[in-house]
Amino acid sequence: MEPQLSWYLALSAVLFTIGVTGVIIKRNVIAMFMCIELMLNAVNLTFVAFASFFQDVVGQLFVFIVMTVAAAEAAVGLGIIISIFRNRESLDVDEASILKL
Amino acid sequence: MLALLFILFGGLAIGCALAVVAQRNPLYSAISLIGVFISLACLYVMLAAPFIAAVQVIVYAGAIMVLVVFVIMLLNVEQEQRGRGRLKFLVPIAVALAAVLIAEVAFILVSVQEFPAATVSNIGLTHSIGTQLFTRYLLPFEITSILLLMAIVGAMTLARRGGLLSATARVIPGAQILPRSLVDPRAAPDDLRAVEADTTDEAARLMGVTDLRSHSK
Repeated sequence: MEPQLSWYLALSAVLFTIGVTGVIIKRNVIAMFMCIELMLNAVNLTFVAFASFFQDVVGQLFVFIVMTVAAAEAAVGLGIIISIFRNRESLDVDEASILKL
Repeated sequence: MLALLFILFGGLAIGCALAVVAQRNPLYSAISLIGVFISLACLYVMLAAPFIAAVQVIVYAGAIMVLVVFVIMLLNVEQEQRGRGRLKFLVPIAVALAAVLIAEVAFILVSVQEFPAATVSNIGLTHSIGTQLFTRYLLPFEITSILLLMAIVGAMTLARRGGLLSATARVIPGAQILPRSLVDPRAAPDDLRAVEADTTDEAARLMGVTDLRSHSK
Protein backbone atom coordinates (compact mmCIF):
# COMPACT_ATOMS: atom_id res chain seq x y z
CA MET A 1 0.00 0.00 0.00
CA GLU A 2 1.37 3.38 -1.05
CA PRO A 3 1.30 6.37 1.31
CA GLN A 4 -1.57 8.64 0.33
CA LEU A 5 -1.68 12.43 0.26
CA SER A 6 -3.94 12.55 3.29
CA TRP A 7 -1.38 10.64 5.35
CA TYR A 8 1.20 13.35 4.83
CA LEU A 9 -1.34 16.09 5.53
CA ALA A 10 -2.40 14.36 8.75
CA LEU A 11 1.22 13.96 9.87
CA SER A 12 1.82 17.63 9.12
CA ALA A 13 -1.25 18.69 11.11
CA VAL A 14 -0.14 16.57 14.07
CA LEU A 15 3.34 18.11 14.03
CA PHE A 16 1.86 21.61 13.75
CA THR A 17 -0.45 20.86 16.68
CA ILE A 18 2.45 19.73 18.82
CA GLY A 19 4.31 22.93 17.89
CA VAL A 20 1.37 25.18 18.80
CA THR A 21 0.90 23.35 22.09
CA GLY A 22 4.58 23.78 22.89
CA VAL A 23 4.49 27.52 22.15
CA ILE A 24 1.52 27.88 24.50
CA ILE A 25 2.70 25.82 27.45
CA LYS A 26 6.44 26.52 27.36
CA ARG A 27 7.88 29.44 29.30
CA ASN A 28 11.49 29.28 28.19
CA VAL A 29 12.10 31.56 25.20
CA ILE A 30 14.49 29.14 23.49
CA ALA A 31 12.04 26.24 23.87
CA MET A 32 9.27 28.38 22.35
CA PHE A 33 11.64 29.26 19.54
CA MET A 34 12.26 25.58 18.80
CA CYS A 35 8.51 24.90 18.80
CA ILE A 36 8.11 27.65 16.16
CA GLU A 37 10.74 25.87 14.06
CA LEU A 38 8.68 22.70 14.46
CA MET A 39 5.58 24.48 13.10
CA LEU A 40 7.55 25.80 10.11
CA ASN A 41 8.69 22.26 9.35
CA ALA A 42 5.13 20.95 9.51
CA VAL A 43 4.11 23.52 6.89
CA ASN A 44 7.13 22.56 4.77
CA LEU A 45 5.97 18.95 4.81
CA THR A 46 2.59 20.05 3.47
CA PHE A 47 4.25 22.03 0.67
CA VAL A 48 6.47 19.12 -0.37
CA ALA A 49 3.58 16.63 -0.22
CA PHE A 50 1.40 18.79 -2.49
CA ALA A 51 4.33 19.44 -4.84
CA SER A 52 4.95 15.73 -5.15
CA PHE A 53 1.34 14.68 -5.64
CA PHE A 54 0.45 17.54 -8.03
CA GLN A 55 3.73 17.21 -9.98
CA ASP A 56 4.44 20.92 -9.53
CA VAL A 57 7.85 22.28 -8.59
CA VAL A 58 6.51 25.56 -7.13
CA GLY A 59 5.79 23.94 -3.76
CA GLN A 60 9.42 23.00 -3.37
CA LEU A 61 10.49 26.53 -4.28
CA PHE A 62 8.27 27.79 -1.48
CA VAL A 63 9.95 25.36 0.91
CA PHE A 64 13.29 26.81 -0.14
CA ILE A 65 12.09 30.33 0.65
CA VAL A 66 10.53 29.24 3.95
CA MET A 67 13.87 27.74 4.96
CA THR A 68 15.56 31.07 4.19
CA VAL A 69 13.03 32.91 6.32
CA ALA A 70 13.62 30.38 9.10
CA ALA A 71 17.37 30.98 8.94
CA ALA A 72 16.86 34.76 9.12
CA GLU A 73 14.41 34.26 11.98
CA ALA A 74 16.95 32.13 13.82
CA ALA A 75 19.68 34.76 13.49
CA VAL A 76 17.52 37.72 14.56
CA GLY A 77 15.53 35.78 17.14
CA LEU A 78 18.59 34.43 18.89
CA GLY A 79 20.06 37.94 18.88
CA ILE A 80 16.92 39.18 20.62
CA ILE A 81 17.12 36.28 23.10
CA ILE A 82 20.73 37.15 23.97
CA SER A 83 19.73 40.79 24.37
CA ILE A 84 16.84 39.88 26.69
CA PHE A 85 19.08 37.60 28.74
CA ARG A 86 21.69 40.34 29.17
CA ASN A 87 19.11 42.77 30.48
CA ARG A 88 17.03 40.44 32.67
CA GLU A 89 19.32 37.51 33.56
CA SER A 90 16.37 35.22 32.77
CA LEU A 91 14.82 33.48 29.79
CA ASP A 92 11.33 33.23 31.30
CA VAL A 93 8.78 34.93 29.05
CA ASP A 94 6.67 35.80 32.08
CA GLU A 95 9.53 37.94 33.32
CA ALA A 96 9.77 39.82 30.02
CA SER A 97 6.32 41.34 30.21
CA ILE A 98 7.23 44.90 29.26
CA LEU A 99 8.51 45.83 25.84
CA LYS A 100 11.30 48.03 27.14
CA LEU A 101 14.63 46.27 27.35
CA MET B 1 6.96 -1.21 1.83
CA LEU B 2 6.64 2.56 1.40
CA ALA B 3 3.79 2.56 3.89
CA LEU B 4 6.03 0.86 6.44
CA LEU B 5 8.72 3.49 5.84
CA PHE B 6 6.12 6.25 6.22
CA ILE B 7 4.95 4.80 9.52
CA LEU B 8 8.55 4.45 10.71
CA PHE B 9 9.65 7.99 9.88
CA GLY B 10 6.31 9.60 10.71
CA GLY B 11 6.24 7.89 14.08
CA LEU B 12 9.82 8.95 14.71
CA ALA B 13 8.93 12.54 13.82
CA ILE B 14 5.89 12.59 16.11
CA GLY B 15 7.80 10.96 18.97
CA CYS B 16 10.68 13.40 18.69
CA ALA B 17 8.24 16.34 18.45
CA LEU B 18 6.51 15.18 21.64
CA ALA B 19 9.93 14.95 23.29
CA VAL B 20 10.69 18.53 22.22
CA VAL B 21 7.63 19.73 24.14
CA ALA B 22 7.97 17.33 27.07
CA GLN B 23 11.65 17.88 27.91
CA ARG B 24 12.42 20.47 30.55
CA ASN B 25 16.08 20.88 29.62
CA PRO B 26 16.31 22.99 26.44
CA LEU B 27 19.39 21.06 25.28
CA TYR B 28 17.42 17.79 25.21
CA SER B 29 14.65 19.61 23.33
CA ALA B 30 17.21 20.71 20.74
CA ILE B 31 18.50 17.16 20.27
CA SER B 32 14.92 15.89 19.85
CA LEU B 33 14.25 18.65 17.31
CA ILE B 34 17.22 17.42 15.27
CA GLY B 35 15.52 13.99 15.27
CA VAL B 36 12.37 15.61 13.86
CA PHE B 37 14.40 17.31 11.12
CA ILE B 38 16.18 14.10 10.13
CA SER B 39 12.97 12.07 9.92
CA LEU B 40 11.31 14.83 7.88
CA ALA B 41 14.29 14.74 5.51
CA CYS B 42 13.69 10.99 5.07
CA LEU B 43 10.02 11.73 4.29
CA TYR B 44 11.12 14.30 1.69
CA VAL B 45 13.23 11.62 0.00
CA MET B 46 10.14 9.39 -0.09
CA LEU B 47 8.24 12.30 -1.68
CA ALA B 48 10.81 12.51 -4.52
CA ALA B 49 12.38 15.74 -3.26
CA PRO B 50 16.07 14.90 -2.76
CA PHE B 51 17.22 18.51 -3.03
CA ILE B 52 14.86 19.69 -0.30
CA ALA B 53 15.91 16.72 1.85
CA ALA B 54 19.59 17.65 1.53
CA VAL B 55 18.87 21.32 2.26
CA GLN B 56 16.78 20.27 5.24
CA VAL B 57 19.68 18.36 6.76
CA ILE B 58 22.30 20.98 5.91
CA VAL B 59 20.41 24.17 6.79
CA TYR B 60 18.07 23.04 9.55
CA ALA B 61 19.87 20.20 11.30
CA GLY B 62 23.22 21.78 10.53
CA ALA B 63 23.21 25.54 10.64
CA ILE B 64 20.10 26.55 12.59
CA MET B 65 20.35 23.91 15.30
CA VAL B 66 24.06 24.58 15.79
CA LEU B 67 23.10 28.23 16.35
CA VAL B 68 20.40 27.26 18.84
CA VAL B 69 22.65 24.84 20.76
CA PHE B 70 25.39 27.46 20.80
CA VAL B 71 23.04 30.03 22.33
CA ILE B 72 21.77 27.48 24.89
CA MET B 73 25.33 26.78 25.99
CA LEU B 74 26.35 30.44 25.84
CA LEU B 75 23.53 31.52 28.13
CA ASN B 76 23.92 28.49 30.44
CA VAL B 77 20.16 27.95 30.54
CA GLU B 78 18.85 26.37 33.72
CA GLN B 79 16.04 23.86 33.68
CA GLU B 80 12.49 25.13 33.91
CA GLN B 81 11.11 25.12 37.39
CA ARG B 82 7.86 23.28 37.76
CA GLY B 83 4.66 25.05 38.72
CA ARG B 84 6.04 28.56 39.08
CA GLY B 85 4.27 30.30 36.25
CA ARG B 86 1.53 32.86 36.53
CA LEU B 87 -0.17 31.65 33.36
CA LYS B 88 -1.27 28.19 34.46
CA PHE B 89 -4.68 28.68 32.84
CA LEU B 90 -2.92 28.33 29.49
CA VAL B 91 -2.44 24.59 29.97
CA PRO B 92 -6.16 23.63 29.62
CA ILE B 93 -6.40 26.05 26.68
CA ALA B 94 -3.50 24.24 25.03
CA VAL B 95 -5.15 20.86 25.59
CA ALA B 96 -8.43 22.13 24.10
CA LEU B 97 -6.58 23.56 21.12
CA ALA B 98 -4.81 20.27 20.58
CA ALA B 99 -8.17 18.46 20.63
CA VAL B 100 -9.54 20.85 17.98
CA LEU B 101 -6.55 20.32 15.72
CA ILE B 102 -6.65 16.55 16.14
CA ALA B 103 -10.30 16.71 15.05
CA GLU B 104 -9.04 18.61 12.02
CA VAL B 105 -6.67 15.73 11.28
CA ALA B 106 -9.61 13.33 11.36
CA PHE B 107 -11.43 15.63 8.93
CA ILE B 108 -8.44 15.56 6.58
CA LEU B 109 -8.25 11.78 6.68
CA VAL B 110 -11.95 11.45 5.91
CA SER B 111 -12.49 14.14 3.31
CA VAL B 112 -9.31 14.76 1.30
CA GLN B 113 -9.55 13.39 -2.22
CA GLU B 114 -6.84 10.84 -2.93
CA PHE B 115 -4.49 11.33 -5.84
CA PRO B 116 -2.51 8.54 -7.44
CA ALA B 117 1.09 8.86 -6.37
CA ALA B 118 3.48 9.75 -9.16
CA THR B 119 5.55 6.86 -10.35
CA VAL B 120 8.27 8.70 -12.25
CA SER B 121 9.07 12.18 -11.08
CA ASN B 122 11.79 14.67 -11.85
CA ILE B 123 10.31 17.75 -10.21
CA GLY B 124 12.45 17.46 -7.08
CA LEU B 125 15.79 17.35 -8.81
CA THR B 126 18.23 20.17 -8.34
CA HIS B 127 18.15 20.89 -12.07
CA SER B 128 14.42 21.58 -12.28
CA ILE B 129 14.37 23.57 -9.03
CA GLY B 130 17.31 25.70 -10.14
CA THR B 131 15.81 26.31 -13.58
CA GLN B 132 12.57 27.58 -12.10
CA LEU B 133 14.33 29.52 -9.35
CA PHE B 134 16.54 31.51 -11.69
CA THR B 135 14.03 32.14 -14.47
CA ARG B 136 10.41 32.44 -13.47
CA TYR B 137 10.88 33.00 -9.74
CA LEU B 138 13.95 35.22 -9.86
CA LEU B 139 12.31 38.13 -8.03
CA PRO B 140 11.41 36.12 -4.89
CA PHE B 141 14.94 34.72 -4.93
CA GLU B 142 16.46 38.22 -4.97
CA ILE B 143 14.07 39.40 -2.25
CA THR B 144 15.21 36.42 -0.20
CA SER B 145 18.82 37.54 -0.53
CA ILE B 146 17.87 41.03 0.68
CA LEU B 147 16.07 39.40 3.62
CA LEU B 148 19.22 37.49 4.53
CA LEU B 149 21.27 40.69 4.37
CA MET B 150 18.79 42.40 6.68
CA ALA B 151 18.99 39.43 9.05
CA ILE B 152 22.79 39.67 9.17
CA VAL B 153 22.72 43.40 9.93
CA GLY B 154 19.91 42.99 12.46
CA ALA B 155 21.60 40.14 14.31
CA MET B 156 24.87 42.06 14.55
CA THR B 157 23.07 45.16 15.78
CA LEU B 158 21.14 43.19 18.40
CA ALA B 159 23.99 41.07 19.73
CA ARG B 160 26.53 43.91 19.72
CA ARG B 161 27.90 44.73 23.12
CA GLY B 162 27.09 48.39 23.28
CA GLY B 163 27.48 50.59 26.26
CA LEU B 164 30.34 51.70 28.46
CA LEU B 165 33.00 52.59 25.95
CA SER B 166 32.83 54.85 22.95
CA ALA B 167 31.52 53.58 19.63
CA THR B 168 34.98 53.53 18.08
CA ALA B 169 36.69 51.47 20.79
CA ARG B 170 36.00 47.92 21.94
CA VAL B 171 37.79 45.93 24.58
CA ILE B 172 37.90 42.36 23.34
CA PRO B 173 37.61 39.71 26.09
CA GLY B 174 41.02 38.37 27.01
CA ALA B 175 43.97 40.23 28.40
CA GLN B 176 44.35 43.53 26.61
CA ILE B 177 46.73 46.44 26.95
CA LEU B 178 45.30 49.52 25.30
CA PRO B 179 46.47 53.13 25.39
CA ARG B 180 44.18 55.18 27.54
CA SER B 181 43.40 57.68 24.82
CA LEU B 182 42.07 54.91 22.58
CA VAL B 183 39.33 53.75 24.94
CA ASP B 184 38.54 56.95 26.82
CA PRO B 185 37.46 59.78 24.52
CA ARG B 186 37.85 62.30 27.33
CA ALA B 187 41.52 61.52 27.93
CA ALA B 188 44.19 63.73 26.48
CA PRO B 189 45.64 62.43 23.21
CA ASP B 190 49.15 62.30 24.69
CA ASP B 191 48.06 60.32 27.74
CA LEU B 192 50.13 57.15 27.37
CA ARG B 193 49.27 55.37 30.63
CA ALA B 194 48.20 51.85 29.71
CA VAL B 195 45.04 50.13 30.93
CA GLU B 196 45.21 46.35 31.38
CA ALA B 197 41.89 44.55 31.72
CA ASP B 198 40.16 41.27 30.89
CA THR B 199 36.71 42.63 30.16
CA THR B 200 35.04 45.84 29.11
CA ASP B 201 33.55 46.34 32.56
CA GLU B 202 36.89 45.80 34.25
CA ALA B 203 38.58 48.30 31.92
CA ALA B 204 35.89 50.85 32.62
CA ARG B 205 36.23 50.29 36.37
CA LEU B 206 40.03 50.58 36.27
CA MET B 207 39.79 53.83 34.36
CA GLY B 208 37.07 55.16 36.62
CA VAL B 209 34.76 55.58 33.65
CA THR B 210 31.14 55.41 34.69
CA ASP B 211 29.18 57.86 32.58
CA LEU B 212 30.49 57.02 29.15
CA ARG B 213 27.12 55.57 28.16
CA SER B 214 25.58 59.01 28.17
CA HIS B 215 28.80 60.54 26.88
CA SER B 216 28.90 58.41 23.74
CA LYS B 217 25.31 59.12 22.70
